[in-house]
Amino acid sequence: MSEENKYWHILEEFEPIKDARLPNGREEVVSPVSRRNFLKVLGLGTASAALIASCTKKPVEKAIPYFIKPEEITPGKAAYYASSYFNQNEFCNVLVKVRDNRPIKLEPNPKSAITPNGTSGRVQASVLDVYNINRFQGPQKEGAPIDWESADNKIVEQLRELANAGRPIVLITPTIISPSTKKLIAEFAETFGAEWQQYDAIPMDGYREANKRVFGTDALPEYHFEKADCIVSVGCDFLGTWLSPVEFSAQYASRRDLHKENPDLHKHYQIEAGMSLTGSNADIRIRADRSEYGKILAYIYNSLATQKGFPAIASDIPAPAVAAELDNVVADLAASEGNSLVICGDNNPDYQVIVNGINQVLKNIGKTVGFERTYNHFRGTEKWKDTLLNAEPGAVIVWDANPVYNHPESDKIKAAIQKAPLSVAISSLPDETSELCHYVFPSPGYLECWDDAEYKKGVVSVMQPTLHKLFDSRQAQESLLKWMGNETAWREYIKSHWVSNYFQLQNEQTNTDRFWVEILRNGELTGKVEPTSVSFDETELGKAFRSIATEKPAQGFTIELTENINIGTGHGPLNPWLQECPDPVTRIAWDNYASIAPSTARELGIINGDIIRTGNLTIPAFVQPGQAAKTISIAVGYGRTAGVPQELVTGVNAYQLAKLDNGFRQFCADGFNIEKTGEHEDMALVQGHQSMEGRPIVREATLDEWKKDPAAGNEMHEKVEHHHTTLYKEHEYKGHKWGMAIDLNKCTGCSACVLACNTENNIPVVGKKEVKRAHEMHWIRIDRYYNGEEENPEVVRQPVMCQHCDNAPCENVCPVAATNHSSEGLNQMAYNRCIGTRYCNNNCPYKVRRFNWLDYTGSDAIPNNRYDPANLTLDLPRMRHNPDVTVRAKGVIEKCSFCVQRIQEKKLTAKSEGRPLQDGELQPACQQACPSDAIVFGDLNDPNSKVSQMMKDPRNYHLLEELHTLPSVGYLTKIRNKS
Amino acid sequence: MLKPLKWIFVSFYTVKKKQNSCYSKLFGMKKFFKGEGNKMMLRFYIFLVAFSCFFTLPLLSFSESADPVLTGGHSKEEINRGKRFFMGLLPFEREHESCVSCHNLTPLDTLNWNPSAMDIALKYAGRDSASFRQVVMEPSGKVMSASHQNFDISDQDLQTIKVYLDHLAVTGPAPSKPSINTLLLFLFLGLLITWALLDLIFFKKVKYKFIPALIVIGALGYQLSIIYEEAVKLGRSQGYQPDQPIKFSHQVHVTENKIDCMYCHHTAADSKSANIPSTNLCMNCHIVVREGTRSGRFEIDKLVQAHEEGRSIEWTRIHHLPDHVFFSHEQHVGAGKLDCAQCHGLVEEMHVVHQENDLSMGWCLQCHRETKVDFVDNDYYATYEAFHEELKKGVRDSVVAADIGANDCQKCHY
Repeated sequence: MSEENKYWHILEEFEPIKDARLPNGREEVVSPVSRRNFLKVLGLGTASAALIASCTKKPVEKAIPYFIKPEEITPGKAAYYASSYFNQNEFCNVLVKVRDNRPIKLEPNPKSAITPNGTSGRVQASVLDVYNINRFQGPQKEGAPIDWESADNKIVEQLRELANAGRPIVLITPTIISPSTKKLIAEFAETFGAEWQQYDAIPMDGYREANKRVFGTDALPEYHFEKADCIVSVGCDFLGTWLSPVEFSAQYASRRDLHKENPDLHKHYQIEAGMSLTGSNADIRIRADRSEYGKILAYIYNSLATQKGFPAIASDIPAPAVAAELDNVVADLAASEGNSLVICGDNNPDYQVIVNGINQVLKNIGKTVGFERTYNHFRGTEKWKDTLLNAEPGAVIVWDANPVYNHPESDKIKAAIQKAPLSVAISSLPDETSELCHYVFPSPGYLECWDDAEYKKGVVSVMQPTLHKLFDSRQAQESLLKWMGNETAWREYIKSHWVSNYFQLQNEQTNTDRFWVEILRNGELTGKVEPTSVSFDETELGKAFRSIATEKPAQGFTIELTENINIGTGHGPLNPWLQECPDPVTRIAWDNYASIAPSTARELGIINGDIIRTGNLTIPAFVQPGQAAKTISIAVGYGRTAGVPQELVTGVNAYQLAKLDNGFRQFCADGFNIEKTGEHEDMALVQGHQSMEGRPIVREATLDEWKKDPAAGNEMHEKVEHHHTTLYKEHEYKGHKWGMAIDLNKCTGCSACVLACNTENNIPVVGKKEVKRAHEMHWIRIDRYYNGEEENPEVVRQPVMCQHCDNAPCENVCPVAATNHSSEGLNQMAYNRCIGTRYCNNNCPYKVRRFNWLDYTGSDAIPNNRYDPANLTLDLPRMRHNPDVTVRAKGVIEKCSFCVQRIQEKKLTAKSEGRPLQDGELQPACQQACPSDAIVFGDLNDPNSKVSQMMKDPRNYHLLEELHTLPSVGYLTKIRNKS
Repeated sequence: MLKPLKWIFVSFYTVKKKQNSCYSKLFGMKKFFKGEGNKMMLRFYIFLVAFSCFFTLPLLSFSESADPVLTGGHSKEEINRGKRFFMGLLPFEREHESCVSCHNLTPLDTLNWNPSAMDIALKYAGRDSASFRQVVMEPSGKVMSASHQNFDISDQDLQTIKVYLDHLAVTGPAPSKPSINTLLLFLFLGLLITWALLDLIFFKKVKYKFIPALIVIGALGYQLSIIYEEAVKLGRSQGYQPDQPIKFSHQVHVTENKIDCMYCHHTAADSKSANIPSTNLCMNCHIVVREGTRSGRFEIDKLVQAHEEGRSIEWTRIHHLPDHVFFSHEQHVGAGKLDCAQCHGLVEEMHVVHQENDLSMGWCLQCHRETKVDFVDNDYYATYEAFHEELKKGVRDSVVAADIGANDCQKCHY
């Protein structure tokens, strides 16, 4: 950080700021009530309230024990159950933390073979879905309640009739990865002559097709990012939303762990149109329009082939606009033969064929691209709708799929479902598809279910219920069993499937019951698998090249449809936590928007929040630095309306813009223009509120500079350390001194920490309106700064939470000593002492303190004072609260506590066992959820602890250390590999 | 209901009729007034009366009770006759004790091992008089047989007693009359002060200024003492000793039968909560023990019945910390090896448990300042090297909980 003001973080900073006030900010308060009168009334009010409170009788409280106390439940103590999270776009092994029979938090399962390190934000937030008040409360027929038995009887009768009449019966599901369920569906299909179709909201059938063409197997290979020295990703958001982001984040971060013993970094090139999370982490990001991807891949292949002595494939594909920059990419790839990885995030099979070709030329197959533990996910193809649309099916059973919402041909699908004599929706929440069906069979949330999963070949895991079913629901599998007339309980079905198929994979247990108990305890079993043998068919490459050569040049603007890391394919809108968690790149919450390039915006005279019309969407525009000029990026998953309460309906549905191309759904289309509507709507943009005014807060250097001087970019730290002196008495920590180190090189910005903190610390949701007023309550935020040219800037990120300063500026100014210093170095906050002056907030240089402006939690003494935009203060969602953390009332300040409840818990365990606390045993929620291991917490008084080691690293610095606040949080400089 | 209204009316009337004399009549302070009362004073007086009526009205309305509900077609006379039998007023000559001498009708401050009239009424409300008769006249338990000896009650009389008890079960116990509570006293004092101040500043009717001044000072002082007392009690309930649904005696269980605390409160050493035993845990012993030496069968029957019906006993909670306090039994009993009695008092000597300490923050902190930490045997504390050094050097002879941060805010509030 040599130049001043190198970083900027919102585009407006580029231009001189005319009015520093927030638009629609506060005006001078002119009130007829004078200050003196106000104080008088206040005084009287307080006195009378105290008087009335002191004279009322305390209510008699009951203490009701269990009738028979279950063995595994100890009131006041958490139990953990191994389970798995699987949703349409990701899988994660988890431990479910259960307090008094209620699941309250999800934690990574360290025994997992796939995701031992962390979880994603969506996994963290999914615990709230169980307590969703919008869930179906019982079976329905034509919208009216019906009992299970008569519904079952009618359906079985109708199914049999239809089967006898020869009308097709279609069962539509998303990809099923559960081996037991697959077996069950096969049995069901046989019984009724039904056809089973898998349909994915965002498919990967193009990848499978390409692998089939080139390698002779349609398997989705496993990718080893940890083995790749050079990663080239063409529009693939593998750290955010692609295939298995939690797993990939861990692999990716393992190659960014920079220290003396490991002085080498991988090099990550990202070639993309819209700024993705992965792109913002790349060492070098190359901006290219979405329509260029084919050309780029062809260019890389041909350049590599020529270098490696393979024949270049002659074609008249023009060189892409970024050819000069691609030459560096090719050179780096060629240098790391066998240890490189090229991936592309496009579902076009021709592109994937070339990607396979490149990896083959680079000899990556069998190394960074493995065919051993291939992915079972994304089995859906476009053939799913053939019978539905063309063969007039008699019965349509839609289970957890929502094609009416997320398929571009939703009108046809809607008509087909409506035409079917029998339609059944099996779903936990109402959606666009279940709305059309005759019958709705509510299914329980995944934390109430028995199930199993084989996400990667040979790695089988279980799901087990962690609470009693909240509503009158039944698992889909139980329904199928019932309709088939099979009386087996679904749990027994799974167990017998495991015993007969997986029991022999292990040799520790000899008793099948013991085996099952052990499986439930561990949650997972890894069996041996033989790698799928692959061939290589060169002729396919030629075909792919020809088809790219015939691609028409893109007309007008290309719209690319992206997946928001929080909202995903569209289940997110019903989860207010996910809605409120800002996108890590744009920092916008509660909305989707059309990202356009700054140059385009200037040309068209568009500023942030201007409503534009493009395609048939009317959507706010967002000026995104780094966006390709001719590409507009819009996130799918928004605009859900059916069954979504009005306050959670946000954004517009962009799925309709997906197009069908040769039988594959493509998430980009060209030929659009941008039309201004003249309207404007401010978006809930969280950044800009917490500007650090260009001070050197994120420090970075290149790998070459670091190799010369490990303190490169961090020269200031030593200078500041040199000036350490104080007139005041310093704190003395005779036992623990808690501290945290954050490696900026590993943090990808995935926001898992934000959502984990939400869950752990009962952070309220304040809603879009309040976020716009800068009232969001997150205890940890991930600041994002741009550096360099607005057309293609570099991005740095920094998670910021309370820094727990030793010289805390907040502590000195609190008039009631509600915030003060603990003997273990924590800057502690006593809510019940806080009177809400907000002096501490004003005096905090890091702006990490949050004020409860309104009664967001319903814990206020005055009942009608509540401000709850997402209905999270109702009894049902409140059951999710962590009972170890106070729910804060209106008018108090709150902030990161370093998860003091966890510190207390682990310390106590060690104390009770009479042993010292181990390093790493104690993890705050953010560290625990972080899939990239970027956050390390521990005892700074222990010189051997990992956090102490990191604090001694020359890369370590403190935020605004020149203020001499002496934070307990350290940051390790970001090192980019630009060599 | 009509009484107070009438009173208001009358007072208005009198005030209007005889403007001047009414002051002297009601206050008896004629000599203090400086002459004729003006209109302003009159209005104030009307306000005063109306205002005090507003507060006394709800109080007085208590005195009028609702018409008695008649049950099972029994006349009021029959019920009253039953009541007289129960109270021992009938028959005139009897050898044995009256029912009420053992089975109290109104709530008692002291522990009565025998079931109260209400308890019995509720239990036998749904049963026929034959079974009632059998229990009273031919008791099976030892305790009851001893006290129900030589009973000479005719079947008919017993029937009337049952009628009375059934009636009692429906109407509930006689309402205890509300006493003038602190709030009313406080408000009255407030009015007095207002009057005195108004007189002192505006009306100046009282000749000697020291009188209203004294009233102000005295009343204000008393008010302040009320505020102080109530505020100190706010959220604390030292000595709180509520009735429990079952007359469970810790003395009987702990002292007499030598059951360890941790047998029932078995999670005290390893969880935040000490655990109130579930019904099935009680039944471990009471599957056999069906009669108490003092309470006989009545109380244990409640437990047995709950067990048969599959429900939990709804105890009344005594020790209760505010929601923002995270107290852990494990910390104190498990790690700290404190004795239960240190906080809960000598529970083993209590028939009815009461809250021994005020459980205030000051009380917690004081104990933390005095309680020594086991630095020798517990390896966890090896982390505190500085203290070990000081112990070795003899700078200090012990480390107390407060030294290692037990009094930090976030040890309990987070």
